[in-house]
Amino acid sequence: MREPKTIISIAIILVILLHAAPLLYRAERKTMWPFLDWAMYKDSRPAGPIRAYKKHITGITARGQRESVTTDLTGVSITSFNMLYLQPMWTRDSSAARQLFDRLNRVREDPFVELRLESETYTVTDSGVVREDNPVITYRADAAAPQ
Amino acid sequence: MSTGWWDRLLARWNAYWFPQTTTKHLAICRIIAVGAQLFWFFPRLDEHLNLLAKNSTFIQPQLLIRAITAILPRELLFTPSAFSIFYWLTVVLGIAALVGLFTRTALFLFTVGISVLIAHQYSYGDRHHNEALFVFFLLSLAFAPSGDELSVDALLRRRKVARTKDRAESPGMSDLAMWPLRFAHVLLAMTYFSTGVSKLIAGGPRWMNGYTLQGYTFADALNRDIPLGMWLAQHHTAAILLSVFTILFETFFFLSLLVPWAAPLFFLTGIFFHIGLYVTAGHDFYQHMVLNFMLLLFLTPEWWRAWLNRHFGGYLSWWRRPAEVAQAA
Repeated sequence: MREPKTIISIAIILVILLHAAPLLYRAERKTMWPFLDWAMYKDSRPAGPIRAYKKHITGITARGQRESVTTDLTGVSITSFNMLYLQPMWTRDSSAARQLFDRLNRVREDPFVELRLESETYTVTDSGVVREDNPVITYRADAAAPQ
Repeated sequence: MSTGWWDRLLARWNAYWFPQTTTKHLAICRIIAVGAQLFWFFPRLDEHLNLLAKNSTFIQPQLLIRAITAILPRELLFTPSAFSIFYWLTVVLGIAALVGLFTRTALFLFTVGISVLIAHQYSYGDRHHNEALFVFFLLSLAFAPSGDELSVDALLRRRKVARTKDRAESPGMSDLAMWPLRFAHVLLAMTYFSTGVSKLIAGGPRWMNGYTLQGYTFADALNRDIPLGMWLAQHHTAAILLSVFTILFETFFFLSLLVPWAAPLFFLTGIFFHIGLYVTAGHDFYQHMVLNFMLLLFLTPEWWRAWLNRHFGGYLSWWRRPAEVAQAA
């Protein structure tokens, strides 16, 4: 083989082999981009009602303004936002709310004093999709527990 | 000396990766790939600036970002002003790669720029699969004669040749013009297989029970306001059929490597598979659509070149292989 082909051949083999790295070195599998493990949507679920949730957080500032708390506002990715804040706050974890207050109020002139987690449950039924509003979970900046 | 088997292996390897091919197809691929990257799915600057402004540290830095910060202090590149300059420099390199000016250097640096942008975006606790294979393809174009035709480089070269030899250049052929497409094909087959098998291992046959796909589609479609996904989530039989199709397509896509005549069917199916994922659940695998499209056109172009020749004959003589054109002349 001439030299360019040899180098290209080695590079091809190397890239293919390196795709095994995220599978073998699990601890770093999420930080090896562009070498990824390609397991997507791999888990299955048993037969039963098809249910999904819509959750969103609304913040109320000291001056009484209402503002939607989004990934843009917090400066984290959607996955991190769900994992660090939305999901724990939905299970009434006030430490997650505290961390979110800290992150949001870091550089704000009009800080958030209240975060309201609103959610709805949607269920697939024979007659269509049924929506059910869940109780609002409220976190106050000066209170320890959610209300 | 018994080097026979090694020579045979090498010959087969070379025949697969490095056959003599026209460079025009690769040049079209360069234009499609770089054009799509620049004008369809280029990272957004405002997202990067927002991440930089709201985070003083990376949440989960990617390997590439760690490598950069090991050499350069964070304050040097990862500030809104420095990152903006880097971003626009990447755009300029992309335009150079698109028009084919210093093509291979521009392509290489453009791919590095894109990789840094994507790795930066994925250093805040999130990462997706959309861009990875496409970046490998862009990088492979930098190490192939992708600028030998349909480029400013080629125009300048032809002018120079015409001045010195007083004749036009013959159509370009190269044994390095096919491997990027084959590489993309192998990577697609590998990753589809990995995705399909992981579903079978983790989810088992239950993954095809319909409820699984209904659940996933419902959650995605609901949160992204996708009416077609909402509709699909309410149809159990359709969900079963599509689950089976998904597993079959992902797990057996690799057959397109072994049965070349069937490859166009897999690529076509791949395009519709990703369009389907997008319109029902919002999974924007545009890069995979483009890859499948380019493979459909240029990996085994004989099948549809034959169809075009049959119907349009002489109008498309440029499409024929240069060898065929020479032979006809």
